[in-house]
Order: sequence, then C-alpha cells, then structure tokens
Amino acid sequence: MIGGLFIYNHKGEVLISRVYRDDIGRNAVDAFRVNVIHARQQVRSPVTNIARTSFFHVKRSNIWLAAVTKQNVNAAMVFEFLYKMCDVMTAYFGKISEENIKNNFVLIYELLDEILDFGYPQNSETGALKTFITQQGIKGQVSKTKEQSQITSQVTGQIGWRREGIKYRRNELFLDVLESVNLLMSPQGQVLSAHVSGRVVMKSYLSGMPECKFGMNDKIVIDKQGKGGASDDAGKSGKQSIAIDDCTFHQCVRLSKFDSERSISFIPPDGEYELMRYRTTKDIILPFRVIPLVREVGRTKLEVKVVIKSNFKPSLLAQKIEVRIPTPLNTSGVQVICMKGKAKYKASENAIVWKIKRMAGMKESQISAEIELLPTNDKKKWARPPISMNFEVPFAPSGLKVRYLKVFESKLNYSDHDVIKWVRYIGRSGIYETRC
Amino acid sequence: MPYLGGEETVRELRRALSNPNVQSDQLRYRNTILKVIRAMSQGVDMSGLFSEMVKACATVDVVQKKLVYVFLCSYAALNPELSLLVINTLRKDCQDPNPMVRSLALRNMTNLRLPSLVEYVEQPLAAGLRDRAACVRRVAVLGWAKLHNLQASSEIDAAVVNELYSLLRDPDPVVMVNCLRALEEILKDEGGVAINKPITHHLLNRLKECDIWGQCQVLRVLQRYRPQSEDELFDILSLLDASLVSPHPPIMAATLSLFLSLCSGQPAVSLAALERVRGPLLAACGSGSREMRFTALCHIQLLLRSIPGLMGAHYKRFFCGYAEPAYIKQRKMQVLVELVNDENVAMLLDELKGYCTDVNAETAQAAITAIGRIGRSYSDRCLEILTGLLGLKQDHITSAVVQTMRDLVWVCPQCSDTVCFALEGCEETLQDSQGRQALLWLLGVYGERVSSAPYTLEVFIDGVRSEASLGVKMELLTATMRLFLCRPAETQDMLGRLLHYCIEEETDMCVRDQALLYYRLLHCGIEETRKVLQGRRSDPSLGVLIGRPAEPVSQWARSFNTLEPLRQGSIETESVSRGSPEHTMFDPKPNADLSNTLDCSRIEKVHSECVRCPTIPRCSPQSLQAAMQLVNIQTLAFTPPQTLPWRVYLYTHTCLDDAPHSTLILGELLYTGEEPQKAEVHKGSADGGVGAEGIEDDM
Repeated sequence: MIGGLFIYNHKGEVLISRVYRDDIGRNAVDAFRVNVIHARQQVRSPVTNIARTSFFHVKRSNIWLAAVTKQNVNAAMVFEFLYKMCDVMTAYFGKISEENIKNNFVLIYELLDEILDFGYPQNSETGALKTFITQQGIKGQVSKTKEQSQITSQVTGQIGWRREGIKYRRNELFLDVLESVNLLMSPQGQVLSAHVSGRVVMKSYLSGMPECKFGMNDKIVIDKQGKGGASDDAGKSGKQSIAIDDCTFHQCVRLSKFDSERSISFIPPDGEYELMRYRTTKDIILPFRVIPLVREVGRTKLEVKVVIKSNFKPSLLAQKIEVRIPTPLNTSGVQVICMKGKAKYKASENAIVWKIKRMAGMKESQISAEIELLPTNDKKKWARPPISMNFEVPFAPSGLKVRYLKVFESKLNYSDHDVIKWVRYIGRSGIYETRC
Repeated sequence: MPYLGGEETVRELRRALSNPNVQSDQLRYRNTILKVIRAMSQGVDMSGLFSEMVKACATVDVVQKKLVYVFLCSYAALNPELSLLVINTLRKDCQDPNPMVRSLALRNMTNLRLPSLVEYVEQPLAAGLRDRAACVRRVAVLGWAKLHNLQASSEIDAAVVNELYSLLRDPDPVVMVNCLRALEEILKDEGGVAINKPITHHLLNRLKECDIWGQCQVLRVLQRYRPQSEDELFDILSLLDASLVSPHPPIMAATLSLFLSLCSGQPAVSLAALERVRGPLLAACGSGSREMRFTALCHIQLLLRSIPGLMGAHYKRFFCGYAEPAYIKQRKMQVLVELVNDENVAMLLDELKGYCTDVNAETAQAAITAIGRIGRSYSDRCLEILTGLLGLKQDHITSAVVQTMRDLVWVCPQCSDTVCFALEGCEETLQDSQGRQALLWLLGVYGERVSSAPYTLEVFIDGVRSEASLGVKMELLTATMRLFLCRPAETQDMLGRLLHYCIEEETDMCVRDQALLYYRLLHCGIEETRKVLQGRRSDPSLGVLIGRPAEPVSQWARSFNTLEPLRQGSIETESVSRGSPEHTMFDPKPNADLSNTLDCSRIEKVHSECVRCPTIPRCSPQSLQAAMQLVNIQTLAFTPPQTLPWRVYLYTHTCLDDAPHSTLILGELLYTGEEPQKAEVHKGSADGGVGAEGIEDDM
C-alpha cells in the first residue's frame, strides 16, 4: 500500500506528485524535501521516518523518486516497485532526467494512474501497459491507432505481451548476452569477492505467434544430459557448463516448464526485451588482473607502478580499456610513462587515467608514475581508494554459451531454418576494483 | 513553495479555456489543458479553473479526458458542488463500449473522494463488478474499498461483501488479488478476510499466476491461516518451497514470513527454512541496487539473532565496497561483528582496520566501534589496532577510539593496563565532547595508573570557564572526585578550585547541583565518599564469553518483512554516542560485577539455595557454554580456566508473549578445588518486562 509517489529534482522541486490515499497529507511532499533532500548530512538510510510516515527513496542520476506510506509495509516490495517504475519510465522515454520528466509529465501521470490504484500495484509490464496508455514517450513517434483498436482482445486475452497478426518479410532474431563482471581484489592478488551479473537481451522480428526454445550451457541441464551417454564430453575440454546462482525471466517464459525440465520456452514479445537476468559467482574468468605497487618515497613523493595482464584467448581483443589510478588530494605534479595507450593526470578527478584502445589476450602492459606531493599540515592519512578499471571484451566472463535457439511457428509457413539468428557476447566491467 | 505570477497564469489560462476558437480546435484545446496540468504539478493553485475544466470533460478524445480527470481528482474536494456536474459525464462513460473508457470513468469516479457523491457511484460500481472486461472488474473491486474508506462508519453491505468473496474465483489473477485487498480494507474491524481452508487452497493454487505484487499480497494474507493438521501444514510448505528460493527478494521475504508464522509451533522447521533462504538472501545482498542490498542486510541481522553461525562461511560477502553509501557500510560492519570466529578473526580485523580511515567520519567511527565489539572476545589483537589508530592523530578517530576503549574496559577489565598506557598524550587531539567525556571517565576510574592524570585534569579545570558542553563538566567533576580519592595530594588543590567554580559561578543547575552533592558528600567523610564513587568496579579476573545467545525465532518473526528491522539499526547507531557506561540504562551487555552489587530489594522473591553436585565434569568453558545453551541457560561470565576458585555466572529467563510474569533466574557455579561443586541459585520473578529490565540494571 503506497500512499503516494513523488518525484523531485536535485534541488528538491517537485516534478510529479500523485497521492493515492487520504492519509497522506499535502505537507508530506515538503517534509521529505526538508528532511532528506535539503538535509546537511549524507543520506542515512533509504527509508526515512518523518511524523509516522515512511518515505522510501531511490535516486536515479539526480532525480529523487519517493514512495510514501503510513503503513508498516514490506520494504523489499516497495523498493522493487520503485525499480519497476524506473524501468517502465525508461522503456517509455529513455534516461530518467529532469528534462525527460518535464517533457513527459502527462505520460507519467497516465502511467501512475495505471500502475497503481488506491496504492496497490496493478499492472507493471511495459508491453501490456502500452495498450492502456495514450501518450507516447517523447523520443519515438510510432502510430498507435492500430494498437488502440485491439485493446478488447488484449485485455481479455491470455498473452498480454504480444499482439496477434504481426508480419515481417524477413524473420530475424538478435540475441545479446550482456554481462558485467564485478571484482574486489586485495593488493596481494587475492579475490575478495567476484560475481557476474548478466542479461540476455533479445530483439525479435518474427511473424505470427512463434514458440521459441532457448538453451544454454547450464550445469544442471548438461549434467542431466551427460547421464545419457556423452559424460566424457564435459571432462575433455575443461569447463563446459556453468553453475548459475539465480536467474529471473521475462514474464513470457513458462516457469512451470523451467522448474520441471529446466528448459526455457516462450512466446516472445515483439521488438526488444530482456529475456532473462542471471548471476554467477563460481569459476569466473577475470579478463584482467591488476597488479599495483605503491611506494612512498619520503613525505613529498609517491611512486606508483601498475601492471595489467589480460587473461583470455590471444585471438580476442578487449576494447575501451581504462584504468583509473587515484592520487592523493595534495598532488602537485605527475610524471607518467606507459608502454601502451595514453595516460593523463586529471587533477579535477584526482586520478591518473590510462586509456588503451585495444588489447589482445595473454598480453601484459604497465604504467609507472611519479607523483609529487605538496607538503601539507593536514595530518589526515590518504585513504588509498582502490584502482578501478573499465573494459569491454567479446566473450562472456561467466562462461555462458548459447547452445541453441529454436523457433517454431505452426500456423505460418516458415520454419526454424528460415529465421536469421544473430548471437553476440559482450562482457563489460561492473565495479572492477583492486585495492592498493 | 510560493510561485510568483500564479494568478496571472490562472487568468490567462481561463481566458484561453473559455475562448470558443480554442474549444473548437481540438489540438489547441488539449494543449491549453496540458498547460493547466503542468502548472498544477508545479504547485500553482489552479482550483479557480474548476468550472472551465468540468466543461472540458465532455469530449470524445480519450487523451483530453484523462488529462481533465487528473485535474478534477486533485481539486474535487475543494469544489464539491461543481463536482456533481462531472458525475453525469462519468456515468455516461461507464456505458461506453470501449473497456478502457469504462475503467477510466469508474476509477476516476471513485478517486474524486467526495462523500456526497457516494449514492451516484454505487450503481455503476455494482455493475462494474459484473463487467466482462477484466480491467473494469479490477477497478470496480478496488472502488468498493475506496468507497468504504470514504465513509468508514457506514454499514457494510453484505451483498457486496459476498460478491467480492465470489470474485476471489475470478479468472483474472489481478481481480482476485484486488478482491483480497478490498476485503482486507472493508472488513478491517473484523480482522480482515476470512481465511478458511477452501480459500487458502484456492489462493495457493493460483499463486503462480500472480505477478510479484499479487504474490506478496496473497502470502501476507495467508499468514493468518492455521493449518488443521500436520499433513496439511507440510503440504502447504512443500508447495511454497519454490517461492522460498525465489530470485525476487520481496517474494522470498514474504514466503519466509509466511513459513515462520505457519511453523510457529515447530522451531526445527523454521530453522530449516532459515537455512534454505541463506542463498537468496546473500544474492539480494549482492544485488545491483543499493536499497535492496540495505533491506537484505537488515533482514540478515534478524536471522543472525537466531542462528548466529548462519553466514559464518560467507563473511567475505559483507566486506564493504569503496563506493558504497555509508548506511550500507555501517550495516555490513554490524553483521561482520556477529560473524567473527577463530578462523576469520585476523582477516576480519584487517578489513575493519581499512575502514577506520574512511573518508566519512561516521563510517570510520562505526568501524572503530566494531573493532571494540570484537575486542570483547579477542582483546589483544583489537587493542593493538586501536592503539595503532591513536598514532594517526586524527581528532574523530581518536575520539572514537577513546570511547571504544572505555566501553571495552568496562566489560573486559583485563585490558585496563594497555588502555591506561595508550591514554597518554591523546588529550591533545580530542576535540568533540563525546571523546573528552570518555577520556575523563577513564582518567577518573584508572587515575592511579596513569601518571599524568592530574596534569591532564588540571588543563581541563583551567579551561572550565570556556567549556560549552554540559556532559564534559559533569564528567570532569566526577573524574576529579575519583582521582582525589586515590591521589589526594596532587588533586586536592584543583578539586577545591573546581568545586568553587561550579558552586559559585556556574549557571547550569545540573552542574551546580552535582558539585553541591559532592561537596556535602566530602563533609560526610572519606569512607562514605569512597562507597558512593568507587562502588562499582569489575573484577579483573573475570572474562566474558561473547557470542550472543541464540534467540528463539518467535522473538522477531512478527517483525520480519516489515519496516521494523530497517529502523532498529539506526537507533542503535545513535545510541553509540552516549555517556559513561554506568549511565547506560538498557544496554544488554553483561556486567561482570554482579556478585558484589546484586541488589535484592528490587526482586520480588529471592531464593538462595545451594545444590551440591557429586561429580565434577572437567571441560572447557566453551563446551560448557554450548551445553548450557542447549537447555536455554546463558553464561554471563567466567574465570580463566586454571584459577581457583573457578566460577561461572549463569542466567536463564522465560519470556512468553502472553504471560503476565517473566522470570529471570541467576545462578553461580562455584568450584573450589577439593570440595564438591556447589551451585547457588538466585531466583527472581517479576511482573512483565519492566520488572525484568530492572533486574538487569542492578546487575
């Protein structure tokens, strides 16, 4: 039961306010602004209690979204709802920014009306919502009239995420496996924590009501099949299957089938959508290793040497590599020497930024820097923030592989072979930090 | 927020809205309405345009209709008479062939929130319940809840309630869940929806069809159900097993909450369920969104109260990331303290040491406090770190370290030597009042061992005129008095000066009264003073066993998956900055000096009896403690293994939810060497919780 939803900009001005229940007064909007947005100290908790009213807030860039309630609600659900709300808005008009919210405020009011009724979440699937919403996000202009007329069939129909009678001349499928790999490593090279959170994003341009089946090298499935005969296959080439810690699916996936036989079958929505989201923590291929060496030479000088090693097949190329080496606040000058790429000291960010356009696997590169420090009275010890890294690699660090994606459409005369399928793997860095 | 030019805008917009040229051009008309809504959402008062907007409502354009409804619902309460005009249009829309228009009209009719309109709304709402489109039924069902909310005192129409009950079997899952929600609100006085066996089974079977929100609602409502037999209970549990490990944290939490309430009679099953959610909870702790991480951490803290070892092997998951917000870091540290054991203590302390120099002062202080907590069981390692931190000469760190040392010494008196040694010289870096209070307390209590104590106090006394903090002045008085008792020659002169200042010149009544009290106390003689000021001192030969006793799950099951666990910690962190340990009232930490100061007058009944045991089991304190905990006896303190007489202090308590009495039993286990073992039991029984706390205070 959410009593109201408010959206503020970074100055605390109200952009959107929608109150669902009478117990939330008009002053609630101001209470949050005064106590949280304009508060002097840092945010102490994502849940704030003011005069027996609880404010749950989420920040997206510099926009505050706050859900208000007077009841003792389930906190996880309210946050999940706020995330969903953000997802829906992003699906309609892209990035959540002050500009976009101001341009789309009628749409947002309309969305808020549909998503929540009397404070209870109703319908939060972007696909199903599209039929109820008259406005379009101010970014794309697609004719909606046809969809409007079909509302009756959809409101009552079983499949809320796809309308009937879609036709394409070329049946195409694009599958992207997008992963972000997160790492926290100790200075000695010990992995403190590592996990991969991945998404399988699909763009489908298929006619009719096709039935799809998606298979990957999930450990449970492979092991099950392994019993059938080819058990030596897994042992032969090392890591063949991966253990998925947890995964969630788009609503179109038949969960009952996944639970019973672990197969992912579904009728896909039209256009782009996220098929599944997963997380793995075991046997992660860490694409890069960062080896830091920091030496304090006296009080006014610091020597930093950082080696990065790429750890994947030599035939693959990593791109957009960026290493960020933090420097103390009282840095006066920096001399950098690097073997590859370009390195620059950015005083405004207090960091040496080292950029390499491309780097092949099993290579090594190093940078060394001499940092001159100003003598200061400030006795505060430099906290030594970790060295962080950004990159993009053309494989999945979790080891996930798409084994097959089959399309069946019984009514129209095209078969699995006629569909053009594209698969792409992209591994990006999430929070990839090495302490120094 | 005042917006200038509001009236001007209203006038301009009114002119545009009533302009026939604008009205005839649909696009221009719609754009004008858009401007009205935009101004409204910026906070300009637009209520003056109500009648113009009512007119704009009669249109076939759905977009315009929606816009006008947003306006009308915001201002209807200010214009009840004019709102009556809208009702006609709305009722007509309820007959529209397009289900979207029907649901829109119905929703806004109920959103107007005007008691005077109820009679017009009831009929379309009743029709809405039987509409063939699911989206209209969804709105209609909740509409009844809104109506009831408007006039809570009115009679509940039994026919409507029955119809809502029958709609629980609606093919659309959202309608079903909305029915549950509506019935919960309408029947609030009767305790909500009647949850009987058929309804429960129906809801459970359809759980899979619902979306996340629906599932949470159903699971919450089902908490009231009591299975009739054990078989039924286990059937339900196995059906829900899949949602227990759901990747959606809200569903997982709601399911666990349901498990705990269903299995309240079977602690073993609830413990098994807690083990099962470990994976999903840890996953939620690593989720990408910080708010969800925070929520998960708070709930893990609850679980740890019952199974302290639950996350032991996964302590690395609770290491803080550099860029995490302070509130998550502080929670993680609280969890880390609970997870410490012999294997990981070195690694954990190393990690916590890293956080002590965090940029955020609050986080740094929380890390230091955490080290102090661990110091209760691993005092040597922790003291080494703490004294090392003093070398940084940072005021906020020094202050936190001194406060932590004070708290640690109170519980582990054996650390006092190291602490006294470390205190030298740190008064220069202390800035805030909390830290100085802690220092003063330590100087007062351990004055005879810190050689420079009188000189430090003298500096404070010389500057007392410019001292702003009340707490520091009070603490200074007490510390000087205590030091006077053990080192009279050095302190007499300055004590006199301080008392003179406080009694003659100080304007604050508290300080003055305290000074007068001490002055008169000194008149009573040195022995009396000593009794008052040095009464409490912990016995240095006693060590404290750490490891919070495992609480039964029922203690916190009710608050699981609500807002409560999110609030608790923040209160805890606030109370960290407090006065000296003697003044803390509700601190659950066991004090080691209970044998001297146990005051029996506050306990209603006291039995003291000795039981002689024929055999003496030779075993380690740890295994003894573990064995005792099995039968719900907790250990407070024990003497080191090889000393004689060897003793352990024990307590056990009953805490039933509905019983008016709670009993606290304290015991002493004494082993004097040759003699057979002897156990003394003090038993106290007190009324309710307050009495029980009273006992703890006295310990």
